[in-house]
Amino acid sequence: MRSGLRQNCSNGWNIATGSLSWMCAIAMSSRGFGSKAAARCRLFNIPYFEMLELGDKDDMVDSIVACLDSGLAGQLPSDLPILTLCAKGGTAALVGQGLRRLGYTSANLQGGMKAWGDYYATRALVAGGLVESPDLAIYQVSRPARGCLSCMVASAGRAIVIDPLRHLHPYLDLACRAGLTIEAVMDTHGHADHISGGPALAAKTGAAYYLHPHDAIHPIDMLPAAIPYEFIRDGQVFPFGWHALKALHIPGHTLGMVAFQLDEGYLFTGDSIFIRSIARPDLGGRAESWAPLHGRSLRRLLGLPVGTIVLPGHFSSLDEADEMGRFAASLDDLKRRNDGLVALQQESEEGFVRYLMESLPRFIPEYVDIKRVNAGLLAPAEEDAATLELGKNVCALSQAYAVSVGGTQ
Amino acid sequence: MSQVFDELFDARGLNCPMPLVNARKEIGKLDPGQVLKVVATDRGSVADFQGWAKIAKNVELVGQETESIGGVNVYVHYVKRMA
Repeated sequence: MRSGLRQNCSNGWNIATGSLSWMCAIAMSSRGFGSKAAARCRLFNIPYFEMLELGDKDDMVDSIVACLDSGLAGQLPSDLPILTLCAKGGTAALVGQGLRRLGYTSANLQGGMKAWGDYYATRALVAGGLVESPDLAIYQVSRPARGCLSCMVASAGRAIVIDPLRHLHPYLDLACRAGLTIEAVMDTHGHADHISGGPALAAKTGAAYYLHPHDAIHPIDMLPAAIPYEFIRDGQVFPFGWHALKALHIPGHTLGMVAFQLDEGYLFTGDSIFIRSIARPDLGGRAESWAPLHGRSLRRLLGLPVGTIVLPGHFSSLDEADEMGRFAASLDDLKRRNDGLVALQQESEEGFVRYLMESLPRFIPEYVDIKRVNAGLLAPAEEDAATLELGKNVCALSQAYAVSVGGTQ
Repeated sequence: MSQVFDELFDARGLNCPMPLVNARKEIGKLDPGQVLKVVATDRGSVADFQGWAKIAKNVELVGQETESIGGVNVYVHYVKRMA
């Protein structure tokens, strides 16, 4: 009976890439989804219809109990809580009932992977060299299922949002809770992997929306954006309260890519430097001409003070977070452990271009359409927008995924 | 495609896993060789019926269609009881 179960067990937390029609049971070694604990959970991937056939009862819960009792029970850890999840949550609730009937400690993810896909987490960066003084706050808003990160910076009640994601409620709620007025909304670049919340958040709050003009042209269509935006220029300063952001034009991932420096202490890198890897230069369809630009831009960032705290636009794996679930690291630290930056320091300009070209993950066709949406050239309905964004971002070089898929114990 | 069937099971409005769980029960009532037509509104049922038919004993998925009825997508599955 046991051999009849098709089963995958891995150490990785790759829910966002899991097959939607499959029933998963996840035994977690710790509460929460952050950092190292998630990397240690065990993943079982079992289609519910296999449980139904093996249990062979008319009722789903009865089938699950019969199936678990005979085949799977020996493989599931009895001393760990088990989280069950599926696409929309219905099947996982029934499997959870079956597990509890057998005496397991089990919870099920309400709303399933769909709800997880739309889940946002907001964290204040407060400890370990990351400050929140009365006159400066930095919040990181993440959408963990997609590996997307955004930030809100605030001082004296005035806030700027950097790279807001598609749903606006995390930013509006945070502004309301912390008594902040959103005065400007920035996109570091024209995103390919997710739909920007920038123009909509600006319209909703009355703030200005900023983008570098080079990214207001769709790189494949060569068509100008049909959205209202203000130009970002290299060196431009955006004050908020007692502090200011300064734009650094760093073309490479896109032609209009910018990073924002906050008081020379923090660097919002967008899609240039991530924690484990660096951004890919090929999503505009011009990898060979953009790769040398990318190398020069990254070298410019490496010249910033080594204590600078990097806040990236993406992560590839949840275990890149610190123990507080924050995705941030010093430039000095990243120079030593970021695969792309290590290569950049070792290679000549030509060698680094070769490294980039040899590290490109597969091109995602949906990304061309997502760029159209972000330029206002396409306006999908909610369901189509959600489908376009499905799955984890693939904005980094392939090394980032080679590490994360295998998981780390 | 117009598929011949013997019995109809209406699973419209049911969410995963109920279209498959209940259709499986209905197939148990058929004679070998007979075909059950299942209509569902749950999009996930398309992949689920395919996956299930591959591993289930004595059933074969003989056809699938998608129809749009009044702007609502309806997913149709024809399942034959083999023995």
